[in-house]
Amino acid sequence: MAEIYLGELEQILLLAVLRVGEEAYAIPILKQIEAQTGRKVARGALYTALERLEAKGCVRSRLGEPVPERGGRARRYFTVTPAAVRALRHSKQALMRLWRGLDSVLEG
Amino acid sequence: MHPPPRMLDRLLSLGIRDAQRRDMVLGDLQEECGARSRGAATWWYLRQVFGITVRSFVDRHKKARASTGDVFMRTTIMDLRHGARSLRKRPAVTAVVALTLALGLGANATVFNIIDVLVLRPFPLPDVDRILLLAETGPRMEFREETVSPANFLDWRERADTIRHLSAMQYWDANLIAMQDPERVQGYLVSSGLFDALGVQPALGRGFVRDDETQGRHRVVVIGDGLWKRRFGGDPAIVGKGVTVDGEPYQVIGVAPPRFDFPDGSELWAPLSFDAAARTQRDSRFLTVIGRLAAGRNESDAAAQMALIAQQLQQQYPEANRDHGVRVFTLRAGMLDPGTGTILSLWQASAVFVLLIACANIANLLLARAAERRREIALRFALGAGRGRVLRELLVESSLLALLAVPLAIAFAWLSLHAIRVSMPARILRFVPGWQDLGFNGRLLGFTTVLALATGGVFGLLPALQAARSSVSEALKESGRTSTAGRQRLRRVLVIAEMALALPLLVAAGMGVLGTYRFLNGPQGYDPDGLLTMKLVLAERTYANETAIRQFVTRGLESLAVIPGVERAAATNVIPASGGNVVRAIDIDGHPAPNPREPPTVDVRSVSIDYFAAMRIPIRAGRAFTTADREGTARVAIVSESMARKHWPGEDPIGRRMRVRNGPWLTVVGVCGDIIQDWFNRVNAPTFYQPFAQAAGTNVAFVLRTQGDPAALAPAARQALLGVDPVQPVFDVMTMRRALKERTIGLQYLSAVMSAFAFLALVLAIVGLYAVMAYLVAQRTHEIGVRIALGAAPTDVFRLTVGQAARLTLVGAAIGFGLSVALSRLMEAGLLGIASSDARVSVLFAAVLITSALLAGYLPARRAAAVDPIIALRTE
Repeated sequence: MAEIYLGELEQILLLAVLRVGEEAYAIPILKQIEAQTGRKVARGALYTALERLEAKGCVRSRLGEPVPERGGRARRYFTVTPAAVRALRHSKQALMRLWRGLDSVLEG
Repeated sequence: MHPPPRMLDRLLSLGIRDAQRRDMVLGDLQEECGARSRGAATWWYLRQVFGITVRSFVDRHKKARASTGDVFMRTTIMDLRHGARSLRKRPAVTAVVALTLALGLGANATVFNIIDVLVLRPFPLPDVDRILLLAETGPRMEFREETVSPANFLDWRERADTIRHLSAMQYWDANLIAMQDPERVQGYLVSSGLFDALGVQPALGRGFVRDDETQGRHRVVVIGDGLWKRRFGGDPAIVGKGVTVDGEPYQVIGVAPPRFDFPDGSELWAPLSFDAAARTQRDSRFLTVIGRLAAGRNESDAAAQMALIAQQLQQQYPEANRDHGVRVFTLRAGMLDPGTGTILSLWQASAVFVLLIACANIANLLLARAAERRREIALRFALGAGRGRVLRELLVESSLLALLAVPLAIAFAWLSLHAIRVSMPARILRFVPGWQDLGFNGRLLGFTTVLALATGGVFGLLPALQAARSSVSEALKESGRTSTAGRQRLRRVLVIAEMALALPLLVAAGMGVLGTYRFLNGPQGYDPDGLLTMKLVLAERTYANETAIRQFVTRGLESLAVIPGVERAAATNVIPASGGNVVRAIDIDGHPAPNPREPPTVDVRSVSIDYFAAMRIPIRAGRAFTTADREGTARVAIVSESMARKHWPGEDPIGRRMRVRNGPWLTVVGVCGDIIQDWFNRVNAPTFYQPFAQAAGTNVAFVLRTQGDPAALAPAARQALLGVDPVQPVFDVMTMRRALKERTIGLQYLSAVMSAFAFLALVLAIVGLYAVMAYLVAQRTHEIGVRIALGAAPTDVFRLTVGQAARLTLVGAAIGFGLSVALSRLMEAGLLGIASSDARVSVLFAAVLITSALLAGYLPARRAAAVDPIIALRTE
């Protein structure tokens, strides 16, 4: 199977989608990222990244029911694919390996 | 929670092609928008969508670059990135340019919105382009509204099949009594097809049907949404209830949809029902007629058919219809105030001047930058870059710069439009269809963006061409100090152009302000200070004959006169500066009109005895009215000086006879001073006055000469009249000063807007001159250092620099002077002599311009004079 490379923003996004769970659509995803990393992601960046991830087969999306406070538009919910979970695991392991033995340098 | 404006979807589609994805984005935005106010929400949406669109656009094309190798797209993206980087590198220049441009663009956007909303689409009606206005034409008929006679209208409606729902409308001052409380309401009597012609459905109940026009069954009304909410508390069961209008019982059959107030802010509609006499009235023309084009027909079909019908009617009724035809307009063109076009084109022209000045400033700044970048550009040529590529890159950069100014310009326009919208008195506002809709919309954004890009091309092209033209070897060889003579000439030309454009704006604004001042403060022919005025339209049923009217007026005057603070109370039928008028055709005994079919017309007034004293209109000859001039005694008249001059030239009018056509003869007993009835078309118009006791009508106005502030007496005056008749509404209770002010509101707007533009122009031009002078001094530091070292005194250097600024200014002012003569001619012609060109204004503003320009040249000159030769020569 071809290896999937994930950029930093992509990793953050995927992790945020996983953390939000079932109801992961753009707004809670943005909030999750902001809450956990303290970093504001531009809306445009979020949408293009989500689209890229979907094209790469890292997320799948489905439409929910129409919601009145959205002017009758449906929410689009995102879920992380198993392939992306594997890729995330992979990059985590790679980072862990790189971290090993550097605690004394980088901690404190 | 406000939904995102529809046009945002279109904007978004530039970045996101997939409609479902756009839906998701818009849904997310609406969900997050929350409880922002309408204005704030629109802004927020705009910012978000703009950001998302740009990001998605770039992302998509980055992909395109990777996959398809589309060279044009790829290089454009490169140019965009390069441009963005170089703008970020010089934040100060970028900010100054964006701000300057935003002012110019904002001015244009504001005027564009006014034209767009008031002229291009003032009526928010479906398929408005298919609604027509039909006007009778004939000798001496200058207007389009109120031109059709009942009998002609009925025949048109019978015969025309290219136009459906042909409907007549008649102005209706309605005295509405609901819940015991009288109120004067703007109403219209309309034919049954009006709502269908306009494509409007009542929100509640029904509209009119043909049967409602039948005499005896016509006492039904449709009420406006505002009236319904205001007077009836939005009662959902209003349909079927009774109200009293003009003393008659009416039944409410429907409520108009919200915001519908056609025409002229109408709030009450009743069927226009003709009795037998009116049905045959063919030469009394007072109806406004509109209709909707039948399916499959166009305007020229309708015009051709109406011309044919008019011809038939002319042959059938030669007496009444001789020389009378029909003209067909679209509703928009037909109901447009004829003066509006001139004023708006004047504004648009001024706004373009401001923008051009801004462009000149920016071009100058960019020229300076291009000079800095010459070597960079030359190096790129040397490395093999094509001239076209470099040119394009510079143009992309200036376009980006221009786009940066768009949000600022929109904000600027939004603020000015808001100010314009709220500053108009509601009483006048209703006569300007579309006024409420001034403000941000998609077309405004589109216009501003397109204009910004075009502007970017204009101010970017000069420096870009210069840069692209430069010779590689020279640029690389040259030391940074000297710059070519050609570029300096260009900069001077730009500054001269700024001066030349600013002066006409200043002069035009000066003319407007001066004209307004003269209107408000010049002699009116009467004394407008300390006067309180009020109007009534007496209910025809209660005041069916002159005796009843006279009684009301007499009792009204009595109760008004005893109010503390009132010196004198008087009555008239028309107050000056009120917009109303009564004109009649007259015969002069002994001076028959040369053409009996076209008798002379004059303004006619019925006034109480004290009117001249209360208004302080002087009696120049003969006598004023007395209590002896009453019903049954000899009929008398007082004529104005202008009427005496016109109709009894070189003679003494006193003792002569005249009459309203077909009326009884009147003997002239006095001559009074002229007044300005209306600044726009009734200055010193020939007028005659009759005593109220001999000529009473249902249009009554009272004027009170007061001690102290007249406005303070308004409640007491209202009470006094209610004491005479508790169900008779009194309206427009206001001081004469206020009436004058409201009457000239258009002119005040004109001069305020022109002043704002002129001020902008002046500031931009002066800043431009300063920048160029400062730049030139900086460029010549070395030369100046040499001069001082060789013995030139600081004053010589000072004179040299100021002299340079003065030369530029004088050349600019001279050209501007010529332009301003042309512009003031245009203003004079367009504004019907309201604004008169005045050489003193031109000279004054030329002086203002030159003085400010010299001040702008002073600072750089001082810096030049203070150059220390040692330091200047060391910079080598």
